[in-house]
Amino acid sequence: MKARLIIFLNWFVLLGSTLLVCAVLGIILVDIFSKGMSSVTWEFISQPPAKGMTQGGILPAIIGTLWLTLITTLFAVPFGVACAIYLNEYAFPSILTNVIRASIRNLAGVPSIIYGLFGLALFVQAFRLGTSVLSAGLTLGLLSLPYIITTTEEALKRIPNSMREATLALGATQFETIKDVVLPSALPGILTGVILTLSRAAGETAPILFTGVAFYINGLTSSVNQEFMALPYHIYMLSTQHQSIEQVRPLAYGTSVVLIAMVFLLNLTAFYIRFKNRTQQ
Amino acid sequence: MNASKREAIDRLLKMVFRATGLVTIGLLGGIFFMLLFNSIAFFAKGNPIDFFTGSQWNPGSDAGNYSILPLLASTGFVALGSMMIAVPLGIFTATFLSELAPDTLRTILKPVIEMLAAIPSVAIGFLGIVLVGPAIARVFGIQNGLNALNGSILLAIMALPTIITISEDAISAVPKTYKEASLALGANKWATLFQVTLPAALPGLIAAVMLGLGRALGETMTVLMATGNAAALPKGFLDSIRTITATIAIEMGEVPYQTTHYFALFAIAVVLFIITLLINLLGEFFANRLRKFHA
Amino acid sequence: MKYCFFCLAILLQSCIEQDKTIKIKGSDTEVNLAVELAESFHVMNPIVFVSISGGGSGLGIASLLNNTADIANSSRSINEEEITLFQQKGIQIDSFIFAQDAIAIVVAKDLPIDSISTNDLAAVLSGKYSTWKSLANKDLPVNIYGRQSNSGTHDFVKDKLSIEFSRNAKEMNGNAQILEAIRADHSGIGYVGAGYVSHGGSKALKILPVYTQENKDAVSPLDAQKIAAGKYFFQRPLFQYYKTSSYIKIKPFLDYEKGQAGQSIIHSAGYYPLRKL
Repeated sequence: MKARLIIFLNWFVLLGSTLLVCAVLGIILVDIFSKGMSSVTWEFISQPPAKGMTQGGILPAIIGTLWLTLITTLFAVPFGVACAIYLNEYAFPSILTNVIRASIRNLAGVPSIIYGLFGLALFVQAFRLGTSVLSAGLTLGLLSLPYIITTTEEALKRIPNSMREATLALGATQFETIKDVVLPSALPGILTGVILTLSRAAGETAPILFTGVAFYINGLTSSVNQEFMALPYHIYMLSTQHQSIEQVRPLAYGTSVVLIAMVFLLNLTAFYIRFKNRTQQ
Repeated sequence: MNASKREAIDRLLKMVFRATGLVTIGLLGGIFFMLLFNSIAFFAKGNPIDFFTGSQWNPGSDAGNYSILPLLASTGFVALGSMMIAVPLGIFTATFLSELAPDTLRTILKPVIEMLAAIPSVAIGFLGIVLVGPAIARVFGIQNGLNALNGSILLAIMALPTIITISEDAISAVPKTYKEASLALGANKWATLFQVTLPAALPGLIAAVMLGLGRALGETMTVLMATGNAAALPKGFLDSIRTITATIAIEMGEVPYQTTHYFALFAIAVVLFIITLLINLLGEFFANRLRKFHA
Repeated sequence: MKYCFFCLAILLQSCIEQDKTIKIKGSDTEVNLAVELAESFHVMNPIVFVSISGGGSGLGIASLLNNTADIANSSRSINEEEITLFQQKGIQIDSFIFAQDAIAIVVAKDLPIDSISTNDLAAVLSGKYSTWKSLANKDLPVNIYGRQSNSGTHDFVKDKLSIEFSRNAKEMNGNAQILEAIRADHSGIGYVGAGYVSHGGSKALKILPVYTQENKDAVSPLDAQKIAAGKYFFQRPLFQYYKTSSYIKIKPFLDYEKGQAGQSIIHSAGYYPLRKL
């Protein structure tokens, strides 16, 4: 009897925890989507805010987030992938490369607000880019670099050395080996890492706080030295800073729906690439 | 293309890759030096002893009190609270996933957990205001639910995916032979799980907790939105608190560059940086021990 | 290769496009008003972009110093320290008062108190009274909801009453959060810009008229005539600071604010315009 009770308790605790974790996700999604979906109309995503932001849509914020993600991609992907290629393909394994790898891994754990400080000191002040979508994008790019480097390196490591040796033996130079053999086979892995990283960057708020995000801009961001609105900051602002918090709550919910949908879409793309790649192999 | 040209391209690109690699690493290394440089500027102007022993963070006052203690206590307090929720929940879930769940269930649940990790922190903070805050206020019969408990619950949600994923890897990495030996000696399934598998995975579990803690300590938006931001020493979980990250977020945009207050914010950022770094290194140390142990 | 061109194109574009955006920063009190002004300004002047950020008054002035803003909204005049900083950097600034604002002292609707003297208010906000016993004859704890130390409203109330705020005062991110908190708190007290309570914002709240030692006549922050006569204790001009060098760029916006259309927006937002409408 006692043994049974213990077994029951064990199951109860372990299964219960798992169900609770799933329930948390369920509650988050159900609450946001049930209260936010009604705000999400075509007008909501295609119109600028109106009447002191109590009405209208969030188009400038969507455009701002797209700008931001674009600049992040242009900066972080080439640098991150090149750095990973250097570490994995060119650099001789030594204590130094191990130290570098360890530092990069640890940089992935540095709080995002500290990247914001760095972006402020480096891009806004030292490079005189001012508070702009360029500064903020570069800051998010820095934040993304460690993730892109680690995931790319992992993808490169999975390519067996025999493939590299075969091409080299056929007379290809090292660059040709990387360009024609290693990178194409590692591409799905790299792409998954990149997309997941970008989805994380798109949802970040802390690093853009001091580097260029604006409460409101009466037009669409059209050049990189302008300030911008961004979806995550818009949620923050609508839920804490706005004059009539209760009146704009549906808008805050709606913005959350759009942001979460955008992030999930990116994640699903990454899962799909990973899944397809796995089934092919 | 002839061979010499191809080799020239090869050499050139090798240089390019090395240069980009080193620039990237230099940029990332620059973060640390920038923090250090700016906080040295603070300690040169301010009073380092007061910074660690004073009891007030009040840059607006005439004297300018810059003491990290209340902020540090708040940060530790709310992170500790989140770990009290997230550690048992995370480890139990990981155990269930790797040891008990059938394969089909596992393939469904793992993306669920990744989805949880993907939700932006600002959305979780928003729910802290509209959902968790009012709930706390009702349950405890207090007026306002923006307090440390709220922050801890939200941070626990944010740390859970990290803890679950790494713990699950650690538990699955325990060699099958351990379990088989234990079962062969007559131990039942549960005894094997709790007395063999989990202890063998312990370093990995500690690593998971450390990385989860690092995440909780460095989180900004959720605590900024949900904890009430009162810079006094926390006395209980129903008090409002203000963490280091929230302080930086609130005050950084609003100080003139190169003033004492500006440098003070870098100084608290350095403290935060060092704490998260130590915790991450500790996590890595345990993760490596697990790897060596099973090699 | 394509990538290089693209980057180059972006860089070029950023050089060519000299910023035609007017950046306005600071003062959570004024931010919503500024948004409404910018919205209607854009209709008349579609080429000129205006970007607005809130935060405290300190943020605006700091941004002006840091060269990241063109206009600094501020609900307080700049202080000595800031003046020296501007001088050190060699920046010439001008100011412009575009409206008057009053700070409302707000409590929950069911708290039995109808007006408050400045002395009592000072005692409450500095933490001398921990319960409402002596003021409202109720044994409820005093919960203070205020702004962060970088807020102009915070500084204004602090200086006007010459107190330091109680350390247990909750520091909210914005005026609206203060109202929301007091709405839910039977024994809360807080201070917000009158613009936040004038148009239905005072639902389930009570705005306390304030009287002073010298003048026992309690004045409400919603009394336009008394404000115009400068009779309310917590009233203040709303400033806009700007660099003399960028005057040409921001002139269209300033003109718009001073004009009939701008002033009527200021009025309907719950502030007190400078000219009679």
